[in-house]
Amino acid sequence: MSTVKVPIGPQHPALKEPINFTIEIEGEQVVDAKVRIGYNHRGIEKACELRTYVRDIYLLERVCGICSHSHTTTFTQGVEELLDEDVPRRGLYIRTIVCELERLHSHMLWLGVAGHEIGFDTLLHYTWRDRELVMDFLEMISGNRVNYAMNTIGGVRRDISKDLIPTLKKGMDTFRERCEYYLKLCSEEPTVLERTQGVGVLPTHMARKLGAVGPTVRASAVDMDCRKDDPCAAYDEVPFEVCTWDSCDVFARVAVRILEMIQSCNMIQWMLDHLPKDEIRLKLKRRVPEGEVLSRYEAPRGELIHYIKSNGTDKPERVKVRTPTLANWPSVEYMLKGCYIADVPIIVASIDPCISCTDRVTFVDVEKEKTWVWDSNQLRRYGIEFYKKKRW
Amino acid sequence: MSQKRPKLKPSLKEDERLKAELEKAFGDTVEVWIPRAKRMFIKVKPGDHRKVIQWMRDNWDLQHVTTISGVDKGDTFEIVYHLYKYQGYRTYPNVKTEIPKKDPKIETIVDILPSADFYERETHDLLGIVFENHPNLERLILPDDWPEGVYPLRKDWLPEGVE
Repeated sequence: MSTVKVPIGPQHPALKEPINFTIEIEGEQVVDAKVRIGYNHRGIEKACELRTYVRDIYLLERVCGICSHSHTTTFTQGVEELLDEDVPRRGLYIRTIVCELERLHSHMLWLGVAGHEIGFDTLLHYTWRDRELVMDFLEMISGNRVNYAMNTIGGVRRDISKDLIPTLKKGMDTFRERCEYYLKLCSEEPTVLERTQGVGVLPTHMARKLGAVGPTVRASAVDMDCRKDDPCAAYDEVPFEVCTWDSCDVFARVAVRILEMIQSCNMIQWMLDHLPKDEIRLKLKRRVPEGEVLSRYEAPRGELIHYIKSNGTDKPERVKVRTPTLANWPSVEYMLKGCYIADVPIIVASIDPCISCTDRVTFVDVEKEKTWVWDSNQLRRYGIEFYKKKRW
Repeated sequence: MSQKRPKLKPSLKEDERLKAELEKAFGDTVEVWIPRAKRMFIKVKPGDHRKVIQWMRDNWDLQHVTTISGVDKGDTFEIVYHLYKYQGYRTYPNVKTEIPKKDPKIETIVDILPSADFYERETHDLLGIVFENHPNLERLILPDDWPEGVYPLRKDWLPEGVE
């Protein structure tokens, strides 16, 4: 049978980072997949070189709409290291609490999206309702739902008031209960099991070879987590476990993320109980001495690094940002090979990319020179119908 | 619990041991320094980066390329391979090398560490560094209609409207 090339993407005006996949199909099966990125390259690295360190914080916060705090955490701790200053512990704790709240809402959002991709919209509505709890907490702490503007060079900009602590702790109890419910639900519900078990398998040796990061690599039984390997902020003091799963499929990625949310709830409660009583920030110099630093942090999607080179002025010489999604694309290319067209949406979604790449799909039949276009909804519907029919 | 955070000074013993291993294998051809625990910078000559990276892969089971940074230093480009060793003692070796700006060519490491693929393409796109023998050095980040020979991360390029 001759193969057919299917370009997927790239535009989706509603989301950042559009992407294009060219998948080659033979009947129902994908035989090859290629990624083309950069449709929304905004030149942030260049822009960082032209601005001062303080302005860069606000610029880098806007690299990603979901893990905005991760970027500022990585950048500010890098600059703090260049300045060779110790940030007050209360500042570090609050920074870490916001980091973990961010992880909670990011993973919860992903769980909903995964549910939606497999046609289980009840899960989407349940999880997104629960996610509002965390969004409200973030608003209570920072005044914002998305770009919290909490981090600054030398600490954080807002304190967590005493009155808020009991509310947050109680909220974490509720959230953990919900996570435990989702873990039970996902491991028993036939819709989830049928669409995720044995789908998008990334064996351990391939995950290592392709340089996968974050929950994607942890779901392939590699216990790689920057929070443990290279503790930053308050992670060296907070007790937590690195969650892994060894089935290497989409289900493993679901399980790892839910387990991580349970860990995060515990961490937030522990940090609120042990919140130090010193300052939240330190006033630091604006000029940064010459040097270079490699700053790392485990963002919700995986290892995030900033390589910052300073030249003694108030502007950086070079800021290099490597987001976790970029590291995971080669793994997606690998996972797509040999899967069904119907599984493309969930496999692409399983790495939690910052995009919806299956937005607009053009099917090109090379032999017949015929082209037809499907949008993300049609592709998703196709996937659900395919599995309905398969359930003979 | 004390309120003052103790200065983070973990032991450098393991880092020193790895540094000694590298120096033993390569002698004077490498310059190794450890700015802090779990960070290691290794400066090599342009041709030697492959040897050092291959040695690390074979001896330390290092497979993960975190990213590749290119820095425009005026007359030269500095290329930094950020690697991640997570078998045994976990640390982050950074292999540095400098190539002339006039002839920005360097041998690829994709055949040694496949995860370098996207990062080499990214650096090629934005800085115009040619990674020789790369299997697929195509455009990754910039648009298809971006003019040839214009590299936005070079210092002599400025966006429109910026002085």
